[in-house]
Amino acid sequence: MKTITFNQKKTSPIALEFDELIPDTIYNWEKSDFDKYMVPIGNSKFSLSNYFDVEVGGEAESPAEVKMILNGDLGRVKYIGNKMSDGQVIANSSVDLHCGAEMSGGSILVNGDAESYAGREMTGGELEIKGNVKEFCGASYIGDWRGMTAGMITIHGNAGKQLGECLTGGEIHVKGNCDILPGIHMNKGLIQIDGDVTRWPGGQMQNGDIVINGTLSRFLEGFNQEEVVIDPTIAGKSFSGKYIKFTGDIARNGKGTIWLAANKNRHLL
Amino acid sequence: MEYIIKNGIVYDPTNKIEGEKKDVMFKNGKIVDNVSSDAKVLDATDKLVMAAGVDPHSHIAGPKLVVGRLYRPEDSRRGVKPKTATTRAESGFSIPSCPATGYRYSRMGYGTVVEAAMPPLEAKHTHEEIVAIPNIDIPALALFGNNWFTLEYAKDNNVEDLAAFISKWLKITRGYGVKIVNPGGSEAWGWGMNVHGLDDPVPYWDVTSREVIHTLAEANESLGLPHSIHLHPNDLGHPGNYETTVGSMDLIKDISKNSPVRDQTVHMTHIQYHSYAGTNWRDFESGAEDISKFINKNDYVTCDVGQITLDETTTMTADAPMEFDLHQLNGLKWANKDIELETSSGIVPFIYSGRNSVHSVQWAIGLEMFLMVNNPWQIMLTTDNPNAGPFIRYPKVISWLMSNKRRTEMIEHGEVHKAVGRKSSLATLDREYDFDEIATISRAAPARAYGFTDRGHLGVDARADIAVYDIKPNEIDPSNEYETIECAFGNAALTVKDGQIIVQDGEIVSTKESQTIWANVQGIEERENEVMKKVMPVFDKYYTIKFENYLVHDHYIHNPIEVNIQAGK
Ligand SMILES: [Zn+2]
Ligand SMILES: [Zn+2]
Repeated sequence: MKTITFNQKKTSPIALEFDELIPDTIYNWEKSDFDKYMVPIGNSKFSLSNYFDVEVGGEAESPAEVKMILNGDLGRVKYIGNKMSDGQVIANSSVDLHCGAEMSGGSILVNGDAESYAGREMTGGELEIKGNVKEFCGASYIGDWRGMTAGMITIHGNAGKQLGECLTGGEIHVKGNCDILPGIHMNKGLIQIDGDVTRWPGGQMQNGDIVINGTLSRFLEGFNQEEVVIDPTIAGKSFSGKYIKFTGDIARNGKGTIWLAANKNRHLL
Repeated sequence: MEYIIKNGIVYDPTNKIEGEKKDVMFKNGKIVDNVSSDAKVLDATDKLVMAAGVDPHSHIAGPKLVVGRLYRPEDSRRGVKPKTATTRAESGFSIPSCPATGYRYSRMGYGTVVEAAMPPLEAKHTHEEIVAIPNIDIPALALFGNNWFTLEYAKDNNVEDLAAFISKWLKITRGYGVKIVNPGGSEAWGWGMNVHGLDDPVPYWDVTSREVIHTLAEANESLGLPHSIHLHPNDLGHPGNYETTVGSMDLIKDISKNSPVRDQTVHMTHIQYHSYAGTNWRDFESGAEDISKFINKNDYVTCDVGQITLDETTTMTADAPMEFDLHQLNGLKWANKDIELETSSGIVPFIYSGRNSVHSVQWAIGLEMFLMVNNPWQIMLTTDNPNAGPFIRYPKVISWLMSNKRRTEMIEHGEVHKAVGRKSSLATLDREYDFDEIATISRAAPARAYGFTDRGHLGVDARADIAVYDIKPNEIDPSNEYETIECAFGNAALTVKDGQIIVQDGEIVSTKESQTIWANVQGIEERENEVMKKVMPVFDKYYTIKFENYLVHDHYIHNPIEVNIQAGK
């Protein structure tokens, strides 16, 4: 096991881009490699050692044996864990855009909030965020119709707009509340929201499941109310209690399902 | 500056040079037959030397590309390459940025690319984009097949006025030739309809596709344009469409050719998409046999293939009703546009996959066409870029054509669906192209079909448009070394354009401004003026823009190559 610790020396008003600093590339780096590394900032590159002091301990034969720890204020560090395939990343602060985007394996733990596009188009692995996430978590990038396809995202706080847009597989679990349009254009997979949803879940969804355990203020027109199900099993996961099942979005001949906790959503019946 | 490319193995089908060890010399941008002792020597010992490639049909400039880039930002994320001291940044895979388009063609050793569909109303924009593409010369074919004036002249069989209209419109748009896309069908799409076959009347026009094609072909020949009509026939992509395709070729048989610089009276484009038998997607199968038989018997026809490359790509065409069908089929996003009085267009992303039976059979049909048309001067290398795949896949297509072993592997190892065996005859065809045939389908034949006498060959006085590839034709066995073939054709050892060295060892070392090639017909100016007297009131009534804003002014055309033609000569 190799532990690589990044201790921040100073912050930058323009974001540092960390997409090369993932276990896949740095598992065999020495301290000297980090000291001479030039990190992209805006349209230039600067010495990483201006911003972080890197400590390296232990040995790794592969990315799987790397534990990467980031300490300091990471609010202007983008692409943490972007495209990583293995290993472990722990960010001990809030992080900037694209954290865990396109990751295919390994795990990321964020002890803070995440900016937009966390877990965007991820194809595997686990992303856990202790705070809130902004927009497009687990979504596709602009234009594409394929969002996250596999893996797990857990958000302990609240989620912003268009959570899991174009979700094509995998699971997103939000323990707090969620802003508008979760699961818009969703094709497959599971979104579970334990708190309240502002409005319009599952717009244009083709398939997959959205579970809302809190209160939903407003629905879109394209959903048919089906039966009430007690203790349903949804996407292989057991839920307890009464759920009202809706299917849609009929605007796209969709076969998606939205499950609303019955006791919180009588106003929609 | 004088240069000598020494000791290469030269393939120049136009001049009947087939693998001769030979020096190629050039001076002041032209091929010459001797140079002084000061000439700079470029060593090409035993390497493959050809004229630079000529692409007869590709969509690289114009509003469709811009709409494609705007609505497919996910495509722009692919193919990103940072700028260098010589090049600008590149982006995009199926719809690359303008600079990337030029650089990528140069890396493959190409020098000329025909933009296959320019709506006259969008000609200015097309030319602006041509200016933004470096390194390659770009003629653009103007769309005439659904133009209201064309429909009117075709209905009245008024060949003389149609010819004057075309001649005038090529001047207005700086176009090179006559493109016809789904004649009548794109106009019908304005009413949410299409036409099928050759004899389905166009709604509200009382004219048929057969009449439109025939009248345009007659007008084209009466002017003696350097290219024949360029036809994307009706019923693209429909099972059973091979009958419409045969009918479309057959209806040209009585047209006599009126140009010394080409052999054909009709060029059928992306013939793969028009060679389908069956009646629906379940019983869909190859109709390549009938189509290739017809072409083998009739030397007035040339075609390009539109080979499926099994990639995620972007389809874009003036055949808007077809694009709507495609969107219904794959459920992916769709862009649609009406070009007033002239045409329509549509764009849909498409993922061609070897796991899909239909896509695999489409792939096989393209290869069948290459292998079943006997005369390589009648069939040309294209992917209808980007419709059947991006042009950067040409080297891969070349490797498939040169290696029966590779094709068999793909079928046997399940890289394509097993339906290929049942629904096409590809597995039974063991023909392998040689370097002479590759040079024919990728440079000599397209140049001939467009009447380009100054390129596509290495004869004295031709433009010094030259490609050297890092393979030794006398040593390599393309059947086994197909990967080397693909790599070499994708990374030219040397690309020379008008005597300027653009690529060395697969890297861009310099860039130059592209040139627009357009056809300027002379000798019928009076007739044009007469026709314009009748055209203008209609123009003023129906177009939403003024004629003065419609013309492509000189400043849109930075470096024209004007091909002057005496009408009817
Ligand atoms: Zn076409
Ligand atoms: Zn085309």
